Amino acid sequence: MSDDVKEFVFKIVVLGDAAVGKTSLINQYIEHSFQEDYKPTLGANIIRKDIHVEKINANVRLIMWDLAGQEKYNVIRSMYFQGCVGALLVYDSTRRATFETVNTKWLRDFNKYVKKEGTYILIGNKIDLTEQRAVDTNEGQGFANEINASDFIETSAKYGENVEKAFENLVHNILQKLGELPS
Amino acid sequence: MVTALLQAYLDILDYDGMKSVLKEADLMNIKDSRDVDPNGTIEFISFYKIIDAQNLLLFGCYRLLYEVGKKLAFYLFPYGKDFEEIVEEITVLIKTNWSVEIVEKKENSMIVEIENCVFCGEAGVPCNLFTGFLVQSLKKALPDNRRVVYSSDKEELKESEPNSFILKLRWKK
Repeated sequence: MSDDVKEFVFKIVVLGDAAVGKTSLINQYIEHSFQEDYKPTLGANIIRKDIHVEKINANVRLIMWDLAGQEKYNVIRSMYFQGCVGALLVYDSTRRATFETVNTKWLRDFNKYVKKEGTYILIGNKIDLTEQRAVDTNEGQGFANEINASDFIETSAKYGENVEKAFENLVHNILQKLGELPS
Repeated sequence: MVTALLQAYLDILDYDGMKSVLKEADLMNIKDSRDVDPNGTIEFISFYKIIDAQNLLLFGCYRLLYEVGKKLAFYLFPYGKDFEEIVEEITVLIKTNWSVEIVEKKENSMIVEIENCVFCGEAGVPCNLFTGFLVQSLKKALPDNRRVVYSSDKEELKESEPNSFILKLRWKK
């Protein structure tokens, strides 16, 4: 086996309506922390994380763009997509409207502005709020299949449940699409 | 200079985007610096840290970098100036081993040669930030309603200078 370490830089975007937990997912992934108070993102949070994929001995620099969900950013948002290869499409499992806009807005934006065929995963966040569930697991999975998402994962950014898995799976799926990992 | 650059980020990436660059540069202490002083001295280490962070985080975002460059031109020279003066002054403002020179000037076109561009991050990729800066500066220096178009060429310069390129600018009504 070769000792050469492969190097990749992947820009990914985290998309979804305001307050679905996009920033919280990234904070949990990077810092293992959660903030109770909600502060809307202004423009874009851009965060780097360097990871190693043991299976293929590769270093991946992940540049994560957490895009503001507010409508006032609709015009400039198109520029933020340039160079992007993957996305986490996030909805809040307690607010049905955020589930519906994944298809009507966020996936449409992603397909429109990402020139090459991108990889995306559907994320149902806030599963810790079990009493307030508005979208169940089966419906989420069915929708992920319908929109050809490469994966469907339910997460709790508050407690860190499945958060690492969501980002890792996206990286693996991108590498698979590039032919670097077996399908 | 640094504050003009921060203001440009603020316009294009908004507050969280600007903070992201500063966080990556380990310079969060200057996140609320706003007063643009075009005659101020440059804190070179901060400037380079910011450019490095920018080129890391904005990897592949050529359109955004171009827009940041346009905004930088606005904040550095808000009232516009003769283009030749701007070309001279930018290398005085950022005094290092780079050069910006108008090598050909015609009625409706100009060729600018940039060697060791301080805004460049990726070898072999045209520097869109400085291109945006020059295009906007020229546009402001020309009479109204002139449209400036550009093309960039790296290959005409020596391979040993990866951050060097030639920018061809043309303008028309």
